[in-house]
Amino acid sequence: MDSIWFKLLGVVVSFIVAFAVGMTYMGLNRKITARVQNRKGPPFYQNFIDAIKLGSKTTAIHHGVMQHFGPAFLMVSSVMSLMIIPILNNGMWFSNLNFHGDLIFLLYIMVFGPLGMALGAGQTGNPNSAIGVTRGLSQMVGFEIPWVMALVALMIQFHTTSIVDLINIQVESGTWLIFSSPFAFVAAVLAMLGMFRYSPFDIVGAPTELASGPMSENGGKYLFTMMSSASVFAFAKLTLYVDLFLGGASNLIELLIKTFVIYMIPVLYGVVSPRYRTEQSIRYFWGWPAFFGLLAILYAVFF
Amino acid sequence: METIFLIFILFLGGAIVTWMAGKLGNIVQDILFLATIIVPSYLFYANVATGYAVDFNVGGIELSWGINAFGWLFSLIVLGLGAVVSFYSVSFMKGKERRGFFYFNFILSVMSMLGILMSQDLVSFFIFWEIMTWSSYLMVVYNGNDVQRIGIKYFVFSAIGAYAMLMAIVVIKSITGSFMIENFISAYPSFSFDMQILIPILLLTGFGVKAAIMPLHVWAPGAYSNAPMAYTSIFSGSLSKMGIYGMVIVFTTMLSYVPEGIWFREVIAWLGGFTAVFGTLWAIKQDDAKKLLAYSSVAQLGYIIVGVSIGTPLAMMAGLFLAVMHAVFKGTLFMVVGAIERQTGTSNFTEVTGLIRKMPWTFVAALISIIALAGIPPLGGFVGKWMLYESLITSDHYLLVIVIFFSSTAAFLYCYKFLFGFFLGQEEEEWAHVKEAPALMVVPMMILAGLSFLLGTYPGIVLKPISEGMQVLGYGLTQGELWDTSIILNGWGNQVVLQPILYAIIGIFVFFMVFVTLKGFKSTRYVTTKDISSSGEVPLAHENLTFSQNFFQPFLRAVEPAMRRQIDKYYNAIANGLESLFEFTRRIYTGNGQTYAIYVIVFVVILLIFKDSIFG
Repeated sequence: MDSIWFKLLGVVVSFIVAFAVGMTYMGLNRKITARVQNRKGPPFYQNFIDAIKLGSKTTAIHHGVMQHFGPAFLMVSSVMSLMIIPILNNGMWFSNLNFHGDLIFLLYIMVFGPLGMALGAGQTGNPNSAIGVTRGLSQMVGFEIPWVMALVALMIQFHTTSIVDLINIQVESGTWLIFSSPFAFVAAVLAMLGMFRYSPFDIVGAPTELASGPMSENGGKYLFTMMSSASVFAFAKLTLYVDLFLGGASNLIELLIKTFVIYMIPVLYGVVSPRYRTEQSIRYFWGWPAFFGLLAILYAVFF
Repeated sequence: METIFLIFILFLGGAIVTWMAGKLGNIVQDILFLATIIVPSYLFYANVATGYAVDFNVGGIELSWGINAFGWLFSLIVLGLGAVVSFYSVSFMKGKERRGFFYFNFILSVMSMLGILMSQDLVSFFIFWEIMTWSSYLMVVYNGNDVQRIGIKYFVFSAIGAYAMLMAIVVIKSITGSFMIENFISAYPSFSFDMQILIPILLLTGFGVKAAIMPLHVWAPGAYSNAPMAYTSIFSGSLSKMGIYGMVIVFTTMLSYVPEGIWFREVIAWLGGFTAVFGTLWAIKQDDAKKLLAYSSVAQLGYIIVGVSIGTPLAMMAGLFLAVMHAVFKGTLFMVVGAIERQTGTSNFTEVTGLIRKMPWTFVAALISIIALAGIPPLGGFVGKWMLYESLITSDHYLLVIVIFFSSTAAFLYCYKFLFGFFLGQEEEEWAHVKEAPALMVVPMMILAGLSFLLGTYPGIVLKPISEGMQVLGYGLTQGELWDTSIILNGWGNQVVLQPILYAIIGIFVFFMVFVTLKGFKSTRYVTTKDISSSGEVPLAHENLTFSQNFFQPFLRAVEPAMRRQIDKYYNAIANGLESLFEFTRRIYTGNGQTYAIYVIVFVVILLIFKDSIFG
């Protein structure tokens, strides 16, 4: 059972699951946004069609070696996050690299991709890409603060930095962390709004202004890789939230329900929000979300 | 003869001979310079055992030179980085003026740093410390730019540190009657309370200046960016670590004997945290690569100070590991800037851009070092950062960990600015002629970049000497508890296993690399950076699409309130105040003989008038 091939199979299966679920969620997002805006919207499987179309295209031009690296870097980050985050809480299936990294490692591997992608975007020479990157990195400094505060609160409350341990604590005590450390959940969810880069925090790739920002100049397989990386990453992040605050999931159906509920928060908040400027969004994250993060730390220290 | 004496004689003699050898031709001078760095270093590692010391007597003062495991750890930084950078320097200084002067000061700096590590008594410690300050000062003013402003600032702060240290040494001598560091440390717990507080403050001021801790850091950005880049590599990489070396000794010996030590630790740790945050914010603002790296050095030293001042085994390990890593990656980055400055004549992001295709090897070295600096796995910086966070969380410094995290996330911004500003973005006609730096410059950079990579997966290579050094300082055995060759653990038993992570990262990267470029790489053709999508219009050759001005303006707008106050302004206010005080004294001491004659007469008259009441 411990052979390398079995592990590889686990990685491939979890990748396919993450890809399919992430793509479907994003399609649903498009549908929901359309219905809110009183449009009919594309079918929920539209993203699969787009992906197949992009994947089967050939590319005619490139801007240099870093542009090839960009999508691959992005994928490293997404797949590594997926491998570190436990997908199911029974520890039997999809355990991948769960025991080889902890939350701090996860925090850093999650920024690996955007930075690598930023380098790829930089070499294309499109000023829109670089502007998008500077905005994205600035916004990241914004939302990482409440996010880290929430994670630190969990770590000091339960004296562990391992995600597996945090799940086990929830399974054993029967209480989800959303109830035992509510402020951390609030801070983490507010930070998640920035992490998903939906409205009002979508200035990074602002389609009407920056021509998709970092993504411009990429088409065909490059865009396909980025798109699938985004959906895998979205699934990984949602699973992380379920693991941390909703007690994990013992089977895939439960996981789907829980992740969908979590996913609806940024989606529904996004469809009714206009767009923040970069400095506004940074200050937003250092306002109430950081305050809740601080409360979470105080709560963890004193209770 | 004792090998230890031979080492210093070789350094000193070599420095003078190298300086003089300029007349014999450049190649002779280069070879002499390299030999003067390499031969004593070899002698040191081959013949000087840790724990061995020679005692001797000069003018009635007992002196003692030797090395312990902790000093040996820092000697790796000093001599290792010194040897690598010396090869780079030979190429860097080619065709420049006053090579002899540069080589002389370079050798003296390396010698004095080794001397500091080997000093077992306070007198030779202080003398070597001053040689280090002087040689680095001469390097700061080597270019002759801004000597008034930058040189004086460095000198004034070094003087403040040196006087503080000298005062501490005099106090120690008057209490214990001995200059031996060992005697002083063993006598320290019996000192009076005032002295127990005063001596660490004076010593920490002295060391804090070199380690550029806030508020003593203001000299650093100017001095680092004004010295020749080949020297700044060791200036920032190893010379600043001497401050850390001293601080660690103060923390682990004196301050761990007295109950007040905990307050020193907390205050210095928070100062380190603020140094990290403000260093990072100012680095983001800079448009000049030298200034950016200088501020970044200040920030990185902040992390190291946080680690060593918290002082739990994990934190100390994190601080020392970061110290080694900082020497490796910041040494490389300063060399990268030196190479770019040599090839293009400028180090300003707003001027030079798009060098990736012209200087690919320099780019690779810069990329790896920047990833290490940012602390992204699987490179060496991550290991240090991870240990630092875990040590802060496990030792109940919850707010400090947020401060540090903010600073290291914000560091991504200047990391990207560095890479984008020099290497990526639009390729301009102006820089079409630029060639890759000579091999002698590229190879040292690649060696250090490779080291960053290696230490990310096998940190045990450096953690072993670190843990041996820590045992000298009184820490227990940490191998197996907190680290192994490629595993790092925190106090709670959580771990990061680095080897499978490296394999996984490489595996995923290669897979998708092949997937993206398979069939694509050959059939696609390279197009210039002018051939981009811009709403259907075709940008013409003369149209400027370079993005380098106000690079992080939105971010800087958000943090603007924090950057409104500058410590520099306060120092300037103090300097202006002092200046007006001196102006006032000049009105009394006019330098005019007649005025002094009047003073004498007035004095005599006063004496005469009040002679009855004074003399009775």
